Amino acid sequence: MKLKKLLIGSSYGKLILKLAIYFVLICISFVYLEPIFRMISMTFMSNKDVIDPSIEWLPKNPSLSNIAVAGKVLDLKKTLFNSLWFSALLAVAQTIVSAMTGFALSRFKFRFKQFWFVMILLAFIIPIPLLMIPRLMTFITAQGILGFNLIGTPIPQILMAMFGQGVNSTILILIFFNFFNLIPYSLDEAAMIDGASPRQVFFQIAMKISASTVLVVFLFSLVWNWNETYITGSLLRGSIELLPAKLDVFDSSFQTYANSGRGTAQFRLNEAYKMSATLISITPLLILYAFVQKRFIQGIENTGITGE
Amino acid sequence: MKTKKMMTFRQRQNRQGYKFMMPWIIGFLLFTAFPFLATVYLSFTSVKQNVAGFNIKFIGLDNYIMAFFENTEYVPALIGFVTQIIPYAFVIVIISFILAYMLNHIKFMRGMLRTIYFLPVIIMSGPVMQQMIDAGVNQSRIENVGIEGSTNLFILQMVYNYSPDLARIIFQVLTQLSTILWFTGIPIILFINGLQKINPSLLEAAKIDSANSWQILWKIIIPIIKPIALVVVVFTLAQLGTYKSTNPMYELITGAIENTAGGLGIAATYAWVYTLLVLLIIGIAFLLFKDRVKGRRR
Repeated sequence: MKLKKLLIGSSYGKLILKLAIYFVLICISFVYLEPIFRMISMTFMSNKDVIDPSIEWLPKNPSLSNIAVAGKVLDLKKTLFNSLWFSALLAVAQTIVSAMTGFALSRFKFRFKQFWFVMILLAFIIPIPLLMIPRLMTFITAQGILGFNLIGTPIPQILMAMFGQGVNSTILILIFFNFFNLIPYSLDEAAMIDGASPRQVFFQIAMKISASTVLVVFLFSLVWNWNETYITGSLLRGSIELLPAKLDVFDSSFQTYANSGRGTAQFRLNEAYKMSATLISITPLLILYAFVQKRFIQGIENTGITGE
Repeated sequence: MKTKKMMTFRQRQNRQGYKFMMPWIIGFLLFTAFPFLATVYLSFTSVKQNVAGFNIKFIGLDNYIMAFFENTEYVPALIGFVTQIIPYAFVIVIISFILAYMLNHIKFMRGMLRTIYFLPVIIMSGPVMQQMIDAGVNQSRIENVGIEGSTNLFILQMVYNYSPDLARIIFQVLTQLSTILWFTGIPIILFINGLQKINPSLLEAAKIDSANSWQILWKIIIPIIKPIALVVVVFTLAQLGTYKSTNPMYELITGAIENTAGGLGIAATYAWVYTLLVLLIIGIAFLLFKDRVKGRRR
């Protein structure tokens, strides 16, 4: 008991506890940082350095050829641009719909509201593989009726995002729902008395106050859509080349690239090429994160994504 | 007169509410509710794709018989999925709670550490995960030794003598620990959120009543935080399910979907059984983590 008091109670004990917490946290943070450091170090290694067992982290003959080759294999210019507009488009659609749904749930009393709320939560629990088969069949049937292709175009996913069934939509709705609940209702009333319609209240008041939440939701949605490969893989079928999907088939496209031009023995697939490709594909997200991380983290922590 | 006015207000609320909800409701019916029911039906049929569209024929339980008794890959994949996902979810809940608790307690370097801990949320995707697992040199070194060879872990040997399957699961978790840690991004956010919402006066009152921090943790914080663990389990299941490298069922289902020549009915069966399992696990998690205190108060 005395020992416990000494350890926890006194300020000296507290200091030790704090130091222990920092020690653990910093140690574990290397689990996340190590792969990224590894990627960076591998990226700048020349072919000789990769094989050399004496080189662990710092390359002896740093070279940029890995990045250049990986960029070419990934078809970087095209895929980066595609990924950007594709996920941004989906994110915009998702943000607007989840804001509307969150607004409806937080502001209006309508019939079966509880029921729809439960449905929103349920939509999150149902695993995606279950839904993909009929979705796919619906789109294939629809393209037969309409007479133009849907599978292999971004249309199905845009439709799904527009109607609130995109990646993790439930969480986005709940973020908005929680935030709108924090806005006092008297603000709406004041605007309504001045003759504003609900639509004006939504756009002029709710959306403007929650600008930071809109940003957070947009970023979440952007990142999730960027990283999503399962739905994209089965609906787009690679007709629009996206960066993560291209990374997924990096090994085979590297072979094609190597065989096409200069199929020399030295030009073999190794970890360095793979790691540079991975680094390239996460760099846009890292840059984005570096710019907005402060607002991003604050936004998540203040609004909350659990719907209680 | 008065009641009439009340009615119109309520009606207006109703209409406005549905106006804002409409896109989501349409989408839900079209892309979630209908597919859900359709899959259940499709699992009893054989689907053939031809030029005109789909030819759906009711064949009863044939798909299930095929899945469980004829396909040699299916049952092992299911068992693999369950024995992998339950320990993973368990470990993720506990580790992310501990990390969130610690991250919430510090002031110095707080921003930097949080930035690092949220990193997985930003860069995690299936292909990136796969590349990192491929490159995980250290992991494969442990795996090569294998469970029978790792005699230096005395406790593991004890467990192994008791039940080899349990030891295998523990061993799997230990070797995959760094992979598991990559899934703690969102759970940590969820827990930090819950921790910050706890009313500080509650903790203060406990302190005045001379509760130590250990008691406060178990008697106040954990009961309040418990419902969030359920959300974490749901999220973890959803997340683990969409990655090739963490879900043994993934390739089976996608493979069956891509095999349009005659596989869609079977694919529906695979997906439906998988869903039932996931819902079962969520149900168990719900029983474990449901908010008992709240229920009593109501």
